[in-house]
Amino acid sequence: MKRVLKKSAELCILKVIMNERLAGFKEQSHTADLEIRVWGEDLDSLFSAAADGMFYLSGIEDSEEGFSSVKESISLDAMDYEGLLILFLEELLYRLTEDYMLFSIDKISISTEFSLKAKLRGTQIRSYQRDIKAVTYHRLNIRETDQGYEVNIVFDI
Amino acid sequence: MVSITDLKKISDYEWEIPVSYRADMRVPVRIFASETLLKGISRDKSLEQAVNACALPGLVGSVKVMPDMHQGYGFPIGGVAATRYPDGVISPGGIGYDINCGVRLLGSRLSYQEGKSYLGELAIALNQFCPSGVGIGGHHRFSSKEVENVCRKGSRWAKEQGYATEQDLRRTEDGGQLRGADPRFLSPRALKRGTAQVGSLGAGNHFIEIDLVSKVFDERAARAMGLNEGDLALQIHCGSRGLGHQVCSDYVKSLQNAVNKYGIELPDRELVCAPMDSPEGEAYLAAMACAANYAFANRQVLSHYAREAFESVLAGRVKDWHLHLVYDVAHNIGKIETHQIDGKSMEVCVHRKGATRAFGPGLEELPPEYIKIGQPVLVPGSMGTSSWVLRGTSEAMERSFGSCCHGAGRVMSRSQAKKTIRGEDLLKQLKRDGIKIQAGSMAGLAEEAPGAYKDVDTVVETVTSAGIAAKVAQLKPLVVIKG
Repeated sequence: MKRVLKKSAELCILKVIMNERLAGFKEQSHTADLEIRVWGEDLDSLFSAAADGMFYLSGIEDSEEGFSSVKESISLDAMDYEGLLILFLEELLYRLTEDYMLFSIDKISISTEFSLKAKLRGTQIRSYQRDIKAVTYHRLNIRETDQGYEVNIVFDI
Repeated sequence: MVSITDLKKISDYEWEIPVSYRADMRVPVRIFASETLLKGISRDKSLEQAVNACALPGLVGSVKVMPDMHQGYGFPIGGVAATRYPDGVISPGGIGYDINCGVRLLGSRLSYQEGKSYLGELAIALNQFCPSGVGIGGHHRFSSKEVENVCRKGSRWAKEQGYATEQDLRRTEDGGQLRGADPRFLSPRALKRGTAQVGSLGAGNHFIEIDLVSKVFDERAARAMGLNEGDLALQIHCGSRGLGHQVCSDYVKSLQNAVNKYGIELPDRELVCAPMDSPEGEAYLAAMACAANYAFANRQVLSHYAREAFESVLAGRVKDWHLHLVYDVAHNIGKIETHQIDGKSMEVCVHRKGATRAFGPGLEELPPEYIKIGQPVLVPGSMGTSSWVLRGTSEAMERSFGSCCHGAGRVMSRSQAKKTIRGEDLLKQLKRDGIKIQAGSMAGLAEEAPGAYKDVDTVVETVTSAGIAAKVAQLKPLVVIKG
C-alpha cells in the first residue's frame, strides 16, 4: 500500500506538471504540525485529494492486499464546505485509527446544500506510521481559483 | 506578519504587542523572550497567532507567550490567556487536541554509580512494561462504563485499582482529579477511543526518560522534592490519547455554531469559543475535565508500569529502587483559578497551551511539602539534551497568571528535520553521548532530533531571568523510550 500511495502521490505531481486543472496535494512547511495544500478542478476532486493527502501524511506502510476489501457508503451534512471537509476527513481518520481501515473513494458528490455522499472501498491495513491527532479549522478556507478550488489544511500531530 | 519593530520593550526579557497593533485586539500580548529568541520566534506565524488570540471575549490582563513559543493552530504553542469566569469564553483550540498533555518527574535514591550498569536492562524493561508507539494501546481494554469512571476520578481511579499511592495524588496538579468532569458530555466515539488506551504512551514527542540529576541549584527546594545530585530520576511525557483528541475535535466542531449564536467575531475558526456560563461552554468544560482526568490516570498507570520495570531489574541488586513522584504538571489545559487582576482578586479561566502552571509559594493548591518553596515546574528538553526542574515564584503569580514555559519549543518543521537529519545517524550520535534509545521508528526519531528544537537552556535562562521561575535542578538524559 505504501507503494500504491507513493505512486498515487507521484501521479498527482505528474498530473500537476501535465495539467494544473487536475487534483493533487503538496506538503507545506509548518514548525510543529503538518500542513498540506490541496487543489482540485471541482469540490469532488478537492475532497478526494484531501483524503489522499491525509493518508499520505499518516505514512501507511502496508496492507493485507485483497484480504478484507469492503464497500461502504457515507452521507454527511454540514453548515458550509469547510465544515463538510473536516467531517469527511475526520470520518476517514477515525476509521483509520480505530479500525485500521484505509478507504479509497470510488464516487463522491457534494451538493450546494453542503451535503456529501460518497461510496468508499476499504482495505484492512496492518499499521501506519504517524498518529494524526486531528484535522484543524486553522485558517481553513476553500478558495476558488482559475483552475477550480484549493485549500490549505493543518493537521495536529 | 508581526515584526520586531512592532514590539515595545518592557525589559530585556519581556516585550509587548500593544492593542493598537490591530483593531480586534481586546488586550495586549506580552512575550517573555530574550532578543535572540525573539528573532527566532518572529520567523514563523506564532506572533500573529498570539495577536489572533487577543480577540477572545472576556480576556483580562494580557495574552502571555513563553520563550519556547512556536507556531501552532489557533493559539500559538506557549500561549497563556485568562478569561473572566463565568461570563468570559473558553476556547477548546486554546487548550489543544491533546488535552492535559503533561509531564511528571519521579525521583529515586539510586545513585548513578550504583545504577549505571543496569541502564541497558532498564531501557529494555521500560520498553516492555510501558506500551508505546503509533496506534498501540495499554495492557488492558476497559468497558465504556469503566472509562467513564476513569474520566470522573482520574488518578483517584488509578489508586482504587492499585496503581497509585496517596502521595502520588497529592503531588499531582489538582490531585489528579479535575472537578466538574461529567462523562455525559462525551461522545460515544470519545468513550470508545478511551477503552484501549489507559496506560499507553503514544508516539510523536511523547517519551519516558531516565535522567541523571546532574546539578542542583537550590538545595532547599531539591531536598523538599527528594532530588539529590548524582541520583537517577524518571520523566514521563504524554496526554489523554485518542479520547482527548476526540473531545477537542467534537467541541471545535460543535462550537462553530455557538460563535454565531453569541455574536462572537474571530479572526480564525480554530479559536471558536463559548461563554463559560452558556450551555455550550459548560458542556465543553465538563468534557475537557473528563479528558484531563483520563490523562492524569494515564500517566499514573504508566508510572506504575515504570516502577514495575525498575523492580524487575533492580530488586535484590541495589538497596533502593523505589521511584517517588516529585510532581505531575499539565501543559495543555484550561483551569479556573483565582488571580489578582489590577489589584482585584478575580476568578478566571487560564488557558495554557504548551505552558505549565508555575504557582509561587504560599498557595493552598500546593501540597504542604511545597508550600514554602513553590510548585515544581517541569521543563523537558528535546531528545538528548537537558531537562530542568524549576519552581514557581510570586512574580509568576503577578506577571504570567502563575505560568511558565513547557519545553524547548520547535524551530524546524518535521519534513525539514527529516531532510537534515537521518534517524540512524542521530541514533549513533546519541549512543556516542552515552544515551540509550528505544525508538519505534527511525523517521520519528529524526523528526524529534535536538537540532529541530530551540536550546532548552536558553529558554530556561529566559524564564528565570524574567523572574517567573527559579532553577532547582538540571537533569541529563541517560535512557530514552520513544514510541
